[in-house]
Amino acid sequence: MMCSFVRLRKVAKAGLLGLSFLFSLALQAQDDGFKAVPILTGSTAYFTRVTAGQFQDAPTVSPLLLLPLGDKWLVEAKGSYSDTFSKNAQGNYNGTISYGMAYGQIDYIANRYMTFVAGRFTTPFNIYGERLAPNWIRALQTGPLTSPVTSGSALGGMMRGGFPGTESLNVTYALYFSSNNTHHLLATDRSTGGRLSFFLPRQRLEVGASFQQVLQADRPHSSGVFLEWQPNRAPFTVRSEYVRSSGTKGSAYWIESVYRLSQIPSLRRLELVGRGEQFFAAANLSAATVKKLGALGKDTNEGDFGMNYYLRSDVRASASYGRQFVLGRNANLWTVGMTYRFIMPMLPQGGAR
Amino acid sequence: MKMKFALAAFLVASAMSLGLMANASSGGKDAPKDSSATPASAEQSAQNENMHVEGEKRFRSNCARCHAAPPKFPPRMMATIVRHMRVRATITDQDMRLILRYMTE
Repeated sequence: MMCSFVRLRKVAKAGLLGLSFLFSLALQAQDDGFKAVPILTGSTAYFTRVTAGQFQDAPTVSPLLLLPLGDKWLVEAKGSYSDTFSKNAQGNYNGTISYGMAYGQIDYIANRYMTFVAGRFTTPFNIYGERLAPNWIRALQTGPLTSPVTSGSALGGMMRGGFPGTESLNVTYALYFSSNNTHHLLATDRSTGGRLSFFLPRQRLEVGASFQQVLQADRPHSSGVFLEWQPNRAPFTVRSEYVRSSGTKGSAYWIESVYRLSQIPSLRRLELVGRGEQFFAAANLSAATVKKLGALGKDTNEGDFGMNYYLRSDVRASASYGRQFVLGRNANLWTVGMTYRFIMPMLPQGGAR
Repeated sequence: MKMKFALAAFLVASAMSLGLMANASSGGKDAPKDSSATPASAEQSAQNENMHVEGEKRFRSNCARCHAAPPKFPPRMMATIVRHMRVRATITDQDMRLILRYMTE
């Protein structure tokens, strides 16, 4: 007992020493004349959801620590904590706490075209997981049906970057390898894959493709394509993703459009969102497999409509309604709530040069 | 077999992209490193104006895809945010410099 206490104290001391060393390095971080400063950012949210008549209230907080080290390094750590209160048959609410680490990675900017990432990171596959998933960014709070088809997190290494191919074309890429991890908070598959995209800045159009190969169990692979377009002449965004898995997880696609009413002065803070999606379960699944897969075992069609109102650039109220069509289990999906994005420097001189 | 072909095609495409990357020239279009240069001449003033317009364009085409335009943050915070977004959204080095300049003017 005494021995483990002494060891714990040594570990804590080493951790504090390491942290203070990282912060001292962070003080030297510099980008184009500005010394990058460690910052704490993230979001908090409170949403009430009614799914097929089942009420849920879910406050969440997702802090993100960004720690720049020197000119080329960045440590990123994002956690999440939520307490979901569900109404039971007696009308009482029971809370379920969940927490985890979304990513904890160290980035090394090797040169202008290449960045190396190590640690736990979001799998580079299409656009939803990496770019749109945070609740203060996503246009609809209900996740798309494509999300469970691929592995969302990886533990290992990644190489990624972007470069201007020509005057009017940017090419971006990501290649990664992940090891297997069975820890209940950090579970990942042994897998490899990557993503390649072409972005036309003048047209504001991006198209790309992704590939993922799981290297364990029945070794399924997934492939996907995506598109995102923001016309120059209208405050409108259209996005779409398609994913297909060779294993038991089937295939799915979604198309989402967002229209900001910025041309109407009284409604300029409001945006309207619509999304249609379909999920196709894998063929020839046994009854036992369908039961094990749950939502991934049955064909599903879903349509969602929502609106977001920006009270400020960092405070947003959202509401949405969706209708899910599953064989023998159609459901209404209601969501209403708010998100707040916070950001603060970790040093008192955050604003000084 | 199909899977192997798809994997091979993906790796070839990635290798070709990296080859393109190696050949891509910076073209001297990166933002100047010293943003505190004084606009001594009309030419320099026009160049600064061009940089501003280009930075705004890059912000609109890269950042505005996911973010509502935020208020501008202090420069040292902005340097960290842009570095984070460079990795997360695979923004090119050139775009990152122009956006940082635009957001800290």
